Amino acid sequence: MVRLSDLHPVEAEHLLKRAKDMPAIGPGDWVDPPSVKEATVAIVSTAGLHRRIDPPFTIGSLDYRIIPGDTQFDDLVLSHISANFDRSAFGQDPNIIFPIDRLRELVSAGEIGGVARWHYSFMGAMPDPSQFEKTGEEIGRLMAQDGVDVAFLVPI
Amino acid sequence: MSEAVVPPRALWVPFPLGRPLGAVNDPDFQKNVLRRALGLLDTAVEPTIEDYVIETPDDGVSENWVCPVNLSSATSDSLGERLLAEVAMLRPWAIETRHQRGRTLFGVTGAGEDQVDDVARALATIAESGDVISEPLVDGISWTFEMPLLLRHMADDLRTFYHEAVAAQPGESAPNHDALNQWIFSETVLGETLLLVADGLTRASNVPMAQLVRGLLIPEGYYKGGSAFPEEVNLAIDP
Repeated sequence: MVRLSDLHPVEAEHLLKRAKDMPAIGPGDWVDPPSVKEATVAIVSTAGLHRRIDPPFTIGSLDYRIIPGDTQFDDLVLSHISANFDRSAFGQDPNIIFPIDRLRELVSAGEIGGVARWHYSFMGAMPDPSQFEKTGEEIGRLMAQDGVDVAFLVPI
Repeated sequence: MSEAVVPPRALWVPFPLGRPLGAVNDPDFQKNVLRRALGLLDTAVEPTIEDYVIETPDDGVSENWVCPVNLSSATSDSLGERLLAEVAMLRPWAIETRHQRGRTLFGVTGAGEDQVDDVARALATIAESGDVISEPLVDGISWTFEMPLLLRHMADDLRTFYHEAVAAQPGESAPNHDALNQWIFSETVLGETLLLVADGLTRASNVPMAQLVRGLLIPEGYYKGGSAFPEEVNLAIDP
């Protein structure tokens, strides 16, 4: 995600400090998934993405919103707290952060097995990702029940 | 940051923030990014961070963009009058973008799609009064955030309106993130309004949340040439 040299110097310095202060989490258990051609994929976004009917995210949100696979793009908005990323791209083409159409095209082409029924969204900008452990385990369990083989994490 | 988390499989991409799949309206480019990321499922045998070295094609995004709509207004008018006049000049183009896309991102604050003026008027009143704590009362709007965090999302709703307006206007290129920020904070009444609100948040020094919201309101580098965040950023502050 982005070269530091492409950011405003103040933002680059801020992110470098954040990265330095971020506590190490370490690798999780290694899991061998099925072949990509047979795998069902779910999107997990940290863009603060949600439907209009959902409560917006707030500062430090650790909960999640579900995005059903048949959600229409005109029903999706962003309530991410950061002023430091470009929302205009999402306005132009929602697939730029939520590539649901692209996944469907890969299914049609036989390149992946399927697209999940449910996708998940979080608020990013969390200095300590370990805060998400409990919710992460919960949606991992839910995705497994839904037949998901691969969580495709898309940061903003 | 990925190195600290040690994800099982990660693809580092060189694209700007807000564009993780790289190029808008370019399905082939986006699918190639997806193929490379998902391909790690078949190749990685241990935690792996792979670099994606393919740049996005030149899609007309420019850091040297100039807004073709003349936004100058009478300087003798009040801030609120000038902001509403600016919104009015952009409205035809914002409507056009909404028409083309069939959607808008405006309204996260709880405002309806046709309540841009109401949000602008409320934000200008806050900027002029310096009261960044009292919730603005607007007929027909039930705000989805409490003050002062609401200010950050009022700013976002109005910036969305501006971004959607310039997405439709004539011109040879589209602005990138920096060009949009330069335009907003150097040339628009909205930018002037946001900086006044930021000053109000600075003065509300007895409210810790206010200092944090200032950092969420103004992009890095655009508050007096530096960061609008306080020295210590605590995202766990109870709003």
